[in-house]
Formats: sequence, structure tokens, C-alpha cells
Amino acid sequence: MNEGSNGNKELTMIVGVIFLKIELKVNGKLRRAEVEASERLIDLLRQKLGLVSVKEGCGAGECGACTVLMDGEAVCSCVVPAFQTDGHDILTVDGLEENGELDVIQQSFIDCDAVQCGFCTPGMIMSAKALLIKNPSPSREEIRTALAGNICRCTGYTQIINAVETAAERIGECRR
Amino acid sequence: MDKRSYNYIGKNIIRCDAADKVQGRFLYLSDEPFPNALVGVILMSPHANATVRSIDVSEAIGIEGVEILTYLDIPSVKYNSGEWFPGQEDFPDETILTGHARHVGDRIALVMAETEEKARKARDLVRVEYEIMPAVTVLETAADMAGTLHEDGEKSFEGSLCYGDIDQAFSAAAYIESDTIATPKVHHAAMETHSVLAIPRPGNVIEVRTPCQITFGVQHSIAQVLKIPLSKIRVIKANMGGTFGGKQEVVFEVLCAWAANKLKRPVFINTTREETILSTRTRAAVKGKVETAVDAEGLILGRRFELTVDAGAYLTGTKKLMIAMGKKASRLYRIPALSYTGSVVRTSTTPAGACRGYGSPQIHTITEIHTDLMCRRLGFDPVGFRLKNLLKEFEEDLSGGANIGKARVIECLKRGAESFGWEENITPKVSRGRFFTGIGFACCTHGNGYYKTKYHDFSNMSLKILEDGSAILRASIHELGSGATTALAQIVGEVTGIDVSKITVTETDTQFTSYDSGCQASRVIYVCGECARLVSEAAVKMLTQEASKLLDKPVRFSQGSLVCEGKRLEIGGTVREIMKKRRVSIEANFEHRPEMNPASFGVHFAEVTVDKLTGLVKINRYLAVHDIGQAINESFVRGQIYGGIQMGIGMALCEELPYDSNGMPKARNFDKYHLINAPDMPDSEIILIEDGEPGGPFGAKSIGEISTVPVSAAIVNAVNRALGSSLTDLPLTPAKIVEAVADLKK
Repeated sequence: MNEGSNGNKELTMIVGVIFLKIELKVNGKLRRAEVEASERLIDLLRQKLGLVSVKEGCGAGECGACTVLMDGEAVCSCVVPAFQTDGHDILTVDGLEENGELDVIQQSFIDCDAVQCGFCTPGMIMSAKALLIKNPSPSREEIRTALAGNICRCTGYTQIINAVETAAERIGECRR
Repeated sequence: MDKRSYNYIGKNIIRCDAADKVQGRFLYLSDEPFPNALVGVILMSPHANATVRSIDVSEAIGIEGVEILTYLDIPSVKYNSGEWFPGQEDFPDETILTGHARHVGDRIALVMAETEEKARKARDLVRVEYEIMPAVTVLETAADMAGTLHEDGEKSFEGSLCYGDIDQAFSAAAYIESDTIATPKVHHAAMETHSVLAIPRPGNVIEVRTPCQITFGVQHSIAQVLKIPLSKIRVIKANMGGTFGGKQEVVFEVLCAWAANKLKRPVFINTTREETILSTRTRAAVKGKVETAVDAEGLILGRRFELTVDAGAYLTGTKKLMIAMGKKASRLYRIPALSYTGSVVRTSTTPAGACRGYGSPQIHTITEIHTDLMCRRLGFDPVGFRLKNLLKEFEEDLSGGANIGKARVIECLKRGAESFGWEENITPKVSRGRFFTGIGFACCTHGNGYYKTKYHDFSNMSLKILEDGSAILRASIHELGSGATTALAQIVGEVTGIDVSKITVTETDTQFTSYDSGCQASRVIYVCGECARLVSEAAVKMLTQEASKLLDKPVRFSQGSLVCEGKRLEIGGTVREIMKKRRVSIEANFEHRPEMNPASFGVHFAEVTVDKLTGLVKINRYLAVHDIGQAINESFVRGQIYGGIQMGIGMALCEELPYDSNGMPKARNFDKYHLINAPDMPDSEIILIEDGEPGGPFGAKSIGEISTVPVSAAIVNAVNRALGSSLTDLPLTPAKIVEAVADLKK
């Protein structure tokens, strides 16, 4: 176990299983949790925190359906151990709305018809969010690269890429 | 009606569930744990062909709260997962659990606990000893080895379709050309893995919630195995995270219903990606020979097929699929004589089933690659050759199928070739000695329902106009993500004048919605959409008549409004008055039985650059031209096409489920099963030809399945033109391309 991230943490033991007490920020709120060493971030989010917007499509970091932001970086929550999020900031699609208004990416996904079955959508939006935080005016190629780890079987990506492009344009218009 | 005056038809109305989906609030089965449910995981065979010598559940069952049902507990009833109506007589060779595992992933036992984690831990404690037998993995020898896999004595399942004088056609031919072509076994890769929930309800009702495509088919399968009346099985279509045919056949539904019924507790079965890949359904691999007799001018005189179709471990619907492939062979080109023979064999691999296009991608990939290679060998222009042989509007299907309808495939090809710059780009280009650029195209067709086939096709809906002027279309729709519910709302809105945001379209629930043949056979927009239009007309007629009686004055319906003596009547207020004073509710019912089943058509063009050194293929340009009659929602249509292209590129270049000689799957997750991702997807252009198809709502016809049908052949044809190769064994992986390049140098 990484001593740097969790070395000083309190441990509890319940019927032979060691739990680590962690503190993290989820969608802007401080959350405390007890997690097993083997517990994945996706399980913490879905099962303990009830954030079922985080979808599991492969459990192997290959499809991106479980993408969340960790300190602004897109990560597959199915391959991140939950204890590693101690002291970190997690953002899921649930935390994107501000004052009851959808994030510009969410609105663009609606307007550009970038959603079909919807299963990849939360992860796809979070990858787009990570891109636009760093690069608010990406090229179409940069959008493709940013979404390379998110698989969608329905849309062929075209309308998703259009949506991210539209979101970037809208961000640009707001700043002008 | 003038198209330009439509309020909703052809308009990009935002799908009704988009907002929920972008907020992560659209919940799938696995997102909502059901109170007091046992979570079940399946103990799957690690061997391809093995009988269980012994199974020891004692340690696992010792854990508090764990329940285990094994193959020793099951009803002995065999069923066929592709059968969706009583009496279809699909050969039954599958049981809900089995002591003879016929593929890696076959179902031996169901292990349940209050959490999935606990169930998985308990499953690891079940000890099974297997007697391993030889795996059946080679199509050519599968029939001879059938006895080791199944005890029913069936070596293969044959089917044929013949018309015209095939011998005469071949003896009169100036040229006879043949090719042997193979299409791969493919994983559907819906992002949501398979799951199902069954709940015992009062009155001996078993409620099953499943993201499926044919609720009434699920109901039939459960009734067949559990031996309970259909009326005691309630199947509710759950929110669906993609299917592409993978959730069309029953997979875990019957097992789940049986377990819940037996234990008298809700049971939820969930799967991982690996379990979904190994244990559900696949696109059937096809291998075979196609042979064409052509006269000196390039007219097709006759065509012969000899195809072998891989059903995987169980027959499933694969015999139906093999026959469907044959029936599609006569609906694209005018083929005066045709002989189609198909043989379905069972192998110790994951079962095949329905998959987007239901045999169309296979048969048209085979014929379109063959047609291109044949044209090259004979010196025919591939566009000119096809134009000479493609079907014209309202031609008869010579095999006896439904009339072809308002076919616009010739227009698709002409407009596509012009827009793509076919003539100008026909000569392959080479750059830096290793990058070869070439273009290719392929034509295809697909159906619009089941009319004039062996299967019944009809839909029953009701439209209720409520006392505030909003409406509910009670329909047995399965929303798969394609936007069908919103498209139907657009149709209702167009007819009734009711704002589309005030219309709710239900999905199917066998207890409360009426019969419908299901979301299959590309029938939803053409058949269900037309039913929605007709029931809307019936509701409007009823409303108009009742309003006339109420006011004792003539009331008519014009341009979306009720009009009485030149004054517009507000719909909600009128309905309220009718309800109060006449004690009549405005609810119309309609059963639509289509009398047509026209063809949809598509022609796709691709430009690829092949790297001879690495074997990698890049798609530079892509154009899809579709004869769709009329788009109900153009954005949805485009979405279907883009998605179809993604799936077809995969089948052409990288998607396959290979097995080693022991029947061990080489791809168990997306690390070894490669889907096309965003950087590999071209920005495709789309041309829609909308000339209005008779019998469809506002002239609409199917798009979801056909959009993936011509893709693989268009890409393979482009690769073959770029390299001068004759590659016919899909997918064209880098290794195969490098090998082909080496062979060409020899």
C-alpha cells in the first residue's frame, strides 16, 4: 500500500477485513468513507455514495463508461483503488449542474442529439469536461483524441464530437 | 400533404429522455437494487465441451444467505431462445442450466446472495469436476463432430431456396465467377451488459423486467419452460443500454424467472463484460461460396450460394437467420435464377443469435465483395455493372417475397458516385512507397417487417386524448436508444396537432400494452409508426364526432385543430366537456396489419489508405446514401447511420471473437476485442433520398439495421482496390493485410 497517500490513516477491522477511513471531496462535498484495500472507486461511488450515474461497461479500464474526474483529470473509476482518492477531489456527472442549470456540455449533448441509449453518456461527458477544462477551444482532432478511451456503440461518435465542438464554441462565446 | 408544411415530421425534435441521460438520471436495471432481491451470478463453464462429473456446493451453501440452483434442479424442458411465438417449432436444444457445457461460458449453476460481491465469492467456492471432450471449433468438421456436442443426433440444419432454371442460367452464361468469403463472429458490444430481474407477485404472477426487444417472446419462452399460463407472466421492458440484437433472444430471462418462482423471492441476475461476451449471443459467422452466371453484356443470369453458418453451441435463431439470408439474396439485383443452400452447424463457441441486420450484413458483404472482384476479373465497370442489374421501383421479388416497393437504389448509387467523385478517384494512388489509397462502395437492401414471410406482423395501440389536451399513446414499443418513442410521438403530434412535448409514448408491458410482434425485422417505424399514425387518425375522428354530438353542430378537424363554424375549439376543453356531458372518454384503439413489406436500400462509399508496412487501414472519407422514404426525425436517422458505420467498420477491420483449438475464447473483454473508437471514425457524409414509401407513416421506412449492412463490403472493396488484392476473409486485420501484400509481391 502506498504509505504516502494513506500511511497515517486510521484502519478498522471488521470480521477480518481491514477498512481504511478516507476523506474525499465528491461533487464539491466532503465525504467520509470506510473502504477495503481492494475496493474500486466505482464501487465506492455507486454502492456507498449512491452515484449510479457512474456506469460499469467493462471493469477493465477499456470502455470509459465509468469515467469521472479526479482533481480535474479523467480517470476510469473501475481501475482506481478507492483508497487512492483520499484527500482528492472527485467530480461525476451529477456534480456538473450549477444553480439548477445544466453544464454547457450537457446542454450541447442534448442539442446535438449526442445521446442514444445513454449508457456511455455520463462517462463521455466527463471526458469532454476534462478536455475543455484544459483546452477550451480544441480542434476536432483533439476532441477525438480526448474521447479515445470512451467507447460508444450507438452514435459512431459523430454527434458526440459535434456536441463537444458546440460546447467549446458556446464557452468561447461566453468569454467574449 | 405538402412536406414543407409538416409540424413535426422530418424535424429534429429532441428525444424525450435526453435530459435524463445527460444528467445520469436515466437508470438501468443494475442501477436500482430491488428490495429483498437475491443477486444471482452464473457459474459458467471454463471448458468448451465438457460434462459435469460432480458438483460440490457444500462450502458455498454454508455461507449464510447463499442460495444455489444447479443443472440438477432444473425442469428438463428444452427450448430454443430464438423462438418468439408458440408453434414456431424452432429446434429446441437448450436448457436453462446444463450438466453438459457446450461452450466456455455455458450455464452450470446460479449462485445467489444478498449482494453481488457475496454471490461471486460463494461461486468461487463451488467445486466442479468436468470430463473434458474435444472442442468443436472448425466449421468444416463441425457436422461430423456434432455427436460429441449434442445428444440429439442432429448433425446440421439445412435450408434451401431455389427459383428459376439455375442449370440453364449457368449453361447459357458467358462467364461464371465464384468467390469464397468469410464473415466473422462478432460481439454486439452494447455498453450495458446483460441483466434481468424477476419478482414473484401476488396471484402467482411472475414479473420479469428486462432490457429486451420482444416482451411477448420473452413471455412465451418463460411459459414454455415453467409450464405456467402466459397470463401469469408479466414482462416489462426495462431501460436499455443498447442491444443491436444482442438482447433480442432470451438469454437469462427464463433462468431468472424460474429461480424467482422456485425460491419465491425476487432474483436479479447481473453479468460482467466477460460474462456477457462469453455467455450471451453473437453475430453468426458465415463462410461459403457464391457463384454468378453472367452474360456477355454483364447481365446476371443466375446465382448460386453454398453457405455454412455457425450457430455456436446452440441452434438459437440461427436457422431462421440462415433462411433470412437466402431471402435477402433476391431483393437487391434482378437474379432470374437463384439457388441458395445453407447449412447451420453447431460449434462449441458462444451461441449466435440476432444481430443488427439479421443476416443482411453477412449476405450482402459476401455478394458485394464478390461482385467487385468479379467485375475486376471480367473488366466490367463496378458501377455500370450494378446499375444494369439493380432492381427498379415496384419490381417483384422473384423468390416470391413482398413487392420491392418504391426502390431508389439506382438513385442512391448514381447520386453517391457523383457526390463521392467515383470516376475521378477510381485509380489507386501510392505515396511514399507504402501508403496505398483506394475507393470502394457497396449496395444493400433490408426489409420493413414480416409481411409475406412465415411470421405474423401486426401492432395494436390505443391513443388516449386527456382532459387537458395532452395524449398517451399506449404502445408496445421497445426503446433501444434509437429514439423510437420520440419518433412515434412526432407521428402522433403531426396527425393530432397536439404539441409533441405533451405526448407520452409507453413502452411495452405485457400486462397493460397490447400485442406487437416486437422490435425486430426493422419493423418499428414502418409498421408501429404507421399504427401510431392510424390510431391517431382514429382518435381524431372520434373526437370530431363526439364534439359534433356535444355541440350539435358540425365539427371538423383541419390542420391540427378542431373547427366549428369557423372557430377553433381548444382540444382539452372540448375533451373535458365531452367527458362531463356525454360521459365518453376519447380513447381510440387500432390494430394495424401491414399489407406491404418494401425494401429499404443503401449504398456506401469509402476511401481508405492502407499502410503496406503495418497493415493498418485508415478511412479517409465515407459517404452513406440511403433510400429511407421519409425521415421522421432526421437527426435520429443520421445517428443510426453513423452508428451503423462504426459497427460495420469493426466487422471489416478488427472485430472478431476467435477461439483456439480447445475452444478457448481469445477475446474476453475490450482489451482483446477491438471496437472502433473516436479517432478511428471518419466524419461521414450522408445523403438521404426521401421519395415517400407507400404504406409507411408519412412515407417513412427502416434505417436502423440497414445502416450497418453495406459498410464492411464498401471498406473491403476499397482495400482490395487500393492494394490490387482479393481479400475475402474478414476481418482484414493488419496481419492478414501484411500477408496479402507479401503474397502479391510473389
